[in-house]
Amino acid sequence: MRLFAHVPFGVSLLAIWGLLTLIGVIVEQGKDPSFYAGAYAPPIARLIVRLDLDNIYHSAAYLGVIGLILCSMAAATFTKVIPRRIPRLNPVKIDAIPLHATVHVSGDAESARERIAAFFAARGWQVRKREFGGTEWTFADKNNWARRGVLVAHIGFVLIAAGTTIYWAKGYSGQFAVLSGQTATIPENGTTVDLKRFAYRIDPVQTKAGTVYQPIDYVSDATITGRDGVAHNAIIRVNQPYDADGTLIYQATYGFAIDFRLTKDGRPVPGPDHPLKEGEGFAIDGTSRAIQYQRFVGTIDRSTGQPGADPRPNDPGIVIQAFDGDRPVGGALIPLGQPVDLGAGYKLDAARYVLYSGFQYRYDPGIPVVGIGAFVLLAGLCISFYFLPARLFVLVRDAAGGGAEVGLAATTVRGYEVFEERFAEIIEAVRRTEPVAPENEVTTTPVLGGV
Amino acid sequence: MDPTRQLLDQALLEIGIAAYVTGALVLFAYFLTRRPVLRSIGMPLAILGAASQFAELGARWWMTGVWPLTNLYGSLSLFSACAVTIFVVFAYRYEMDFIGGPVLALAAIALGYATTWNEGYMPAVPALQSYWIKIHVPIVITAYASFMVAFCLSLLYLVKAAVEHRYRTGSPSVRGVAAGAGASIDVPLNYAALPGFGAVRTDTPALASAAAAGDGAAQWLSGLPSLAKLDIMQYRVIAVGLPLLSLGIITGAMWAKEAWGAYWQWDPKETAALLSWIVYAAYMHLHTRPEWRGTRTSIVSVIGFASIVFCYLGVNIWISGLHSYKM
Ligand code: HEM
Repeated sequence: MRLFAHVPFGVSLLAIWGLLTLIGVIVEQGKDPSFYAGAYAPPIARLIVRLDLDNIYHSAAYLGVIGLILCSMAAATFTKVIPRRIPRLNPVKIDAIPLHATVHVSGDAESARERIAAFFAARGWQVRKREFGGTEWTFADKNNWARRGVLVAHIGFVLIAAGTTIYWAKGYSGQFAVLSGQTATIPENGTTVDLKRFAYRIDPVQTKAGTVYQPIDYVSDATITGRDGVAHNAIIRVNQPYDADGTLIYQATYGFAIDFRLTKDGRPVPGPDHPLKEGEGFAIDGTSRAIQYQRFVGTIDRSTGQPGADPRPNDPGIVIQAFDGDRPVGGALIPLGQPVDLGAGYKLDAARYVLYSGFQYRYDPGIPVVGIGAFVLLAGLCISFYFLPARLFVLVRDAAGGGAEVGLAATTVRGYEVFEERFAEIIEAVRRTEPVAPENEVTTTPVLGGV
Repeated sequence: MDPTRQLLDQALLEIGIAAYVTGALVLFAYFLTRRPVLRSIGMPLAILGAASQFAELGARWWMTGVWPLTNLYGSLSLFSACAVTIFVVFAYRYEMDFIGGPVLALAAIALGYATTWNEGYMPAVPALQSYWIKIHVPIVITAYASFMVAFCLSLLYLVKAAVEHRYRTGSPSVRGVAAGAGASIDVPLNYAALPGFGAVRTDTPALASAAAAGDGAAQWLSGLPSLAKLDIMQYRVIAVGLPLLSLGIITGAMWAKEAWGAYWQWDPKETAALLSWIVYAAYMHLHTRPEWRGTRTSIVSVIGFASIVFCYLGVNIWISGLHSYKM
């Protein structure tokens, strides 16, 4: 428990958390092992896969460190943050506190004490008086409540962790693509999405580097049927999800599915039975060959026969790759609607494209808790950083040559330097408002090293 | 866009760069010589540079109707303008003008680099067409900018502390005079009581004695704020940056939830921001311990700024993801 509550231990855990996070940023996440084998030297690639560095954020080590941080934070909160009450009001050696000053004022000690107490009370300080062995002390506190800022910040962090756990326990998410005119079903809740039409807008923009084709809008026009069984019209755009019974459906991607026709010696033979999306492929029956549809080319540059810059389907084609077993045997850019010869009497026609829309969906009942946690955390930070609990010790005595001598010292939860300017201002204000004694000698305000 | 307007855009940009470059030189000279006249020239240049940059971004927005922070040019411009603004505010509030040279130099470098990403006037891609961009980006950039100012202070702290270390003789420094001060929650280190003068934080005694003995470098360095003050200045600037970074991550998460479906997707950019957040959270925890304040926290602040540069530029340029401006 002692170790867990130790701040340097907590900081070490934060450092490990930071390090694991850094690895996660540098090593691409969620690829399959062949990707790492290609991208890194063999021992490193093996290490990445073996140590789960390819899925680090959900690895035991990562979750374990966060768990330890929560334990450490809880231990510190219960042993240090919560029990830390306001220190007892005790007399101090004023001159021994780095922030101190003495001001000579007129009147006797009793009246000066009252004036000083009223002075601080009027400026929002909580003033308390105590007598110790016949000497009366005045204590003035400011922002004492702000000691709770740390507690608030720590609670915020716990709430965020709790909200995330709620999602893991009860939420779900996924993605699906629907071809125009077709219907998809979200398995977790049975909602159906019937895509009537997908549209996009891409504009050519002149920049210094030449023409850039900038996407402006993606929009799916769909009919969505949720739990109530009623079909609702839905226009789904980027940044404008649709809420189906608490499950949000988002516009994520789009693409051009291709309707392939395969013939052998002029007669149709079985090819793919549905339009294929980028990355999908099919085997040619009775051979060891397969064809993969790699990507869509909106505009074929007729002068070079190569893909042009404009992604819009002006003169469309597709890039295909042929495989023999697992071995690539050649690729080609083929225009839509113009059959190409695959050899051995086979001809492939990329007959037409069908736009499809890619959606993501997500049900996350933890969001309100995470949201509240985030703002509680932020409030805790602001309280801790901007409201500095400070205490003034004031001792007023009759001065030898008449009048009274006011000794002031200040301390804060964050040392003295942070309060230096403020203390100087306070002393200055006391001086300005206090009638000075005859033969006044004023002690200089404290200086903790200067610019 | 009509050429007069483009000319205005270009002129404002050039004024900004020119003001930063000359301001940086003048304030470096002030840093070296402490001649007040140099500060009186340098500070207005800093203000002029930031003002013309804000005007340039505003002019772009007005002229094209497109929010100017959708590419690296706009965001880096805002970064340098914010860093200089934060510096100016802190300089007037807490006498921090001496750090103007490095701040303006970094601002000039950021702005110069920004111009290499100046593609002209592009409309935003669908993912960036959201009111969130107007909330999230300025907050995050302001956080980065304050960390940049803190970074300059941390470097200065580390230099001063290292030199102090070199000058230090075997003599024990004055320690803990006030350690018995009852209700003090911290353990004050190295305070020397001076009769009639409160107390002086003597955390550079070796430097001070070398200065008294006529050592020029020591004289110059001991004229800078004490280590304790440099530490508090860093703390204050980071105390602006960390809540802003937190708010930036929160608003980013809110936007992500609206745009991509999940408030957190472990996208490289958001994860790198989390990394920076962790580093500065560690800074704050170290800073609660008097004996760790100073050199260690300054090193963490330097690491923190390195993580910011990585998050801001490294991820955008080297690691593609949902956040890359190049998408
Ligand atoms: C890793 C485990 C952690 C431990 C052991 C720990 C412990 C502590 C302790 C003991 C303090 C009070 C220090 C003092 O004023 O003397 C503190 C302050 C604080 N903690 Fe934590 N904490 C941990 C994690 C976190 C996390 C993850 C957050 C983020 C929400 C956080 C936010 C804060 C804040 C904002 C303060 C106030 C700092 C200041 O006043 O400058 N802590 N922590």
